[in-house]
Amino acid sequence: MEIRISGVSKYYYAEGKTIKALDDVNLTIPANRIFTLLGPSGSGKTTLLRCIVGLETPDTGEISIGDELVWSKDKNISVPPERRGLGMVFQTYAIWPHMNVFDNVAYPLQVRGVAKGEVAQRVAETLRFVQLEGFERRPATKLSGGQQQRVALARALVAAPKVILFDEPLSNLDAKLREETRKELRAFLGKLNITAVYVTHDRVEALALSDSIAVMRSGRIVETGTPQKIYFDADHRFVADFIGRANLIKATVCAESGGHSIVDCGLGRIACQQRAIAVGAEATLCIRPEFIRIVKGGAATGDNVVNGTIESLVFVGDAYEAEIRVGAELLLARIDAEAHLDEGDAVHFTLDPAHCLLVDI
Amino acid sequence: MNGARTRLTWSLILIVGALTVFPVLMLVLGSFSEGLTAFGHFTVSKYAEAYTDPNFFEVIANTLIFVLSASLLSTVLALFLAYLNTRTDIPFKGMFRIISIVPMMIPHLLFAVSWALLLNPSNGLLNLALKQTFGLDQAPFNIYSLGGMILVEGLLELPIAYLIIAPAMASFDVALEESSRVCGAGTWRTLVRVTLPVLRPAILAAFTLGVVRSMASFAVPSMIGMPGRVQVLATHLYEMIATGFATDYGKAAAVGMSVLVASVTLIVVYRALTAESEKFVTVSSRGFRPSVIELGRARLPLFGLVGLLSCGLVVLPVAVLLYTSFVPYSMVPSARAFSLMSLRHWTAVLEDPISLLALKNSLFLAVVGATLGVILSIFVAYVIVKVKSRAAGLLESLSYLSFSFPGIVIGVGFMWFFVQTPLYATIWALLLGYIATYLPYGIRPMSSAFVQIHSHLEESSLVCGAGPLLTMRRIIVPLLMPGIVSGWILMASMFVRELTLSIVLSRPGTEVLAVQILRFSEDGLWGKLSALGMVMILISTVLVILATVVGNRFKAA
Repeated sequence: MEIRISGVSKYYYAEGKTIKALDDVNLTIPANRIFTLLGPSGSGKTTLLRCIVGLETPDTGEISIGDELVWSKDKNISVPPERRGLGMVFQTYAIWPHMNVFDNVAYPLQVRGVAKGEVAQRVAETLRFVQLEGFERRPATKLSGGQQQRVALARALVAAPKVILFDEPLSNLDAKLREETRKELRAFLGKLNITAVYVTHDRVEALALSDSIAVMRSGRIVETGTPQKIYFDADHRFVADFIGRANLIKATVCAESGGHSIVDCGLGRIACQQRAIAVGAEATLCIRPEFIRIVKGGAATGDNVVNGTIESLVFVGDAYEAEIRVGAELLLARIDAEAHLDEGDAVHFTLDPAHCLLVDI
Repeated sequence: MNGARTRLTWSLILIVGALTVFPVLMLVLGSFSEGLTAFGHFTVSKYAEAYTDPNFFEVIANTLIFVLSASLLSTVLALFLAYLNTRTDIPFKGMFRIISIVPMMIPHLLFAVSWALLLNPSNGLLNLALKQTFGLDQAPFNIYSLGGMILVEGLLELPIAYLIIAPAMASFDVALEESSRVCGAGTWRTLVRVTLPVLRPAILAAFTLGVVRSMASFAVPSMIGMPGRVQVLATHLYEMIATGFATDYGKAAAVGMSVLVASVTLIVVYRALTAESEKFVTVSSRGFRPSVIELGRARLPLFGLVGLLSCGLVVLPVAVLLYTSFVPYSMVPSARAFSLMSLRHWTAVLEDPISLLALKNSLFLAVVGATLGVILSIFVAYVIVKVKSRAAGLLESLSYLSFSFPGIVIGVGFMWFFVQTPLYATIWALLLGYIATYLPYGIRPMSSAFVQIHSHLEESSLVCGAGPLLTMRRIIVPLLMPGIVSGWILMASMFVRELTLSIVLSRPGTEVLAVQILRFSEDGLWGKLSALGMVMILISTVLVILATVVGNRFKAA
């Protein structure tokens, strides 16, 4: 089910100052996709999620879920959270400690007045789906973090909601478990054909889980797109920087030719992915470390070829992370663990224009 | 090092054991003895006598109603107040702090007296005022009843119940409620199915503690119950040992045994419940501040209600006492009443040799008792927190044992002991009794102070190059000081007002303030009582203010 958000703002007042937690957000979340709100802390992503659920009241705008208008300032409509028919997984899972697993999962059905027999059957089905069969009588607080997380998921799914929302559900798990749970979650959601809205500040999580991502900053949506678009093709410097490690270099557009934008920058004259930026305008050149392919030896020539020296090398297990000195610029690059290079070696590399991204300043 | 620690642990076990187990032992032995002068002559006649007393059934029934209703009242009120404070946008949240600090200022005895002065049927101020205003023949309220006792005791237990429930409510993860809302449950259903059940251990703990405390309470039963001839166990015991010419400490010990057993059992339940409520702490939320429920139109009326309640808890008792201490006899405030005001009662009290003696004794007990008590507490808390051996565990159980002792019962136990010694009828008997009974109140702030001193704090100071002595001076003592100060003040302010133990142990020559106040009330000398009561409140208040000042100075340094 599609979620449409238009003109939603939310203000907080603290110490005499107004903080815009949400600043005129317009967003359409497509039906039956996994949609992620990604941003640093304080960017308003959780506030937006809570406005969709109804736990937070916006100050302006409209929100509709499917065909139902659930919030409208102008029409004075405010559907309380319990009547929005959603499912949500909280950051802390919010497993009720006084109930066992069965009671936790059965709760949404019980409050909807579903008959006992059907409750038992649907809880059993849902627990099987999240692979918690046989855990019904366990006290919920006696479960591990990952299991609690699946109870929370089961509880959110059991009443077959139109939309399921996740508020940083993996942030309380340790790194290894987080990765496993992420894969599980992706598998579960893939089978379900449900609209999922997922809030996180973890870019890897966002990239791995989502069908589309909206990147937020200071209460605004900066950019929306598929994970590939956000990673390779961001329009904004903030997005390019936030979604992955990037070398950001000041550049000036000097020409357009052969389907490329040509810029002058600290690396020399570089052909980039074409962008509609006027000749003579300033821009930022963004190159991800993994696309800098180092070759030993200096004084190479050619298009998009850059010469430099290795300033530092750090072994990080699967590779070396190197800092390459090119004139005044210092570039981060990843080098194969078996490349036999030393600090001070002269190197060169060739940049593929497709991986040279021009973003706004 | 280890040897020294073991020796310290065992000597503390010996001291604390003597202070807490000994009176119980004497109580048991006493209950099987013929009488104070015939200690050791075994008999079960005292039990037979005590439990076949025709009044006994009524006493038990009264006690049950009194104790359960008062605890229920305090728990429900505390829950209501805690909810308003932590979850809603009620204005002036500072009020709630006042409600939880009151018991430090106003002794229970005086609180009960002030309500009696307001609502007694013959000349209660409020009753007189209502009679005058509406031309009534009879007083509309009678505080001297079971209902009156429940009201006053319920209000007295309210701050403790609040102090148990409010933190539980504040640390409650709001996501638990929010997820219930998202699951389709409305506000009311969420309250009943999620909020209250999650808080259940804290609620039950507050209720259980209320039961224990009101069972041990003597102030309300003696000030309000006795004039109305409503007897509960505490006053029943008191009559056996203090009124009439045939005092019977054997019978009192026999009845006291069941009170003691009930009390200890309930405290065990209470501690299990508090442990349970800690278990209920789930993954803690680090995200959102709790959403505030907007009270809307109910905001001001609810605020008024809380204001009225805190007024009834704080302002009213003091105002009534102060007023009564100035007027010659009970009268409704009027121009005439103000013209008749004088310092007569004050000068009478301050020239009364027994009142002065009581004042002197109480101050001595407060200063010396609290000092000794805190010193003992420091060592006990150190062993409990830092020495993790089985003996330390034993010490912990021993030192918290007296927490569950009803003062009057344990007083009877002490009586059996002191009568055999030259300590009988001396101030030292009271001193020992006080320290033994109130030891947990000194140990608790001390051990939480020790808990704060994580061993890393000490160790990092050592690693930084400070020697053990410098570490002690710069790190440990400053961290411990707030605990020492608050422990001392807590004990001193409790000793100034001590009633239940004193009524058993105090003899002519060892009167203390609370006992003297009780005597005044028995003689109907309300003016003198109020003047002396104000002196008591003054001392308590000065102690509390002193504690705050000293505490702040240490924080600043």
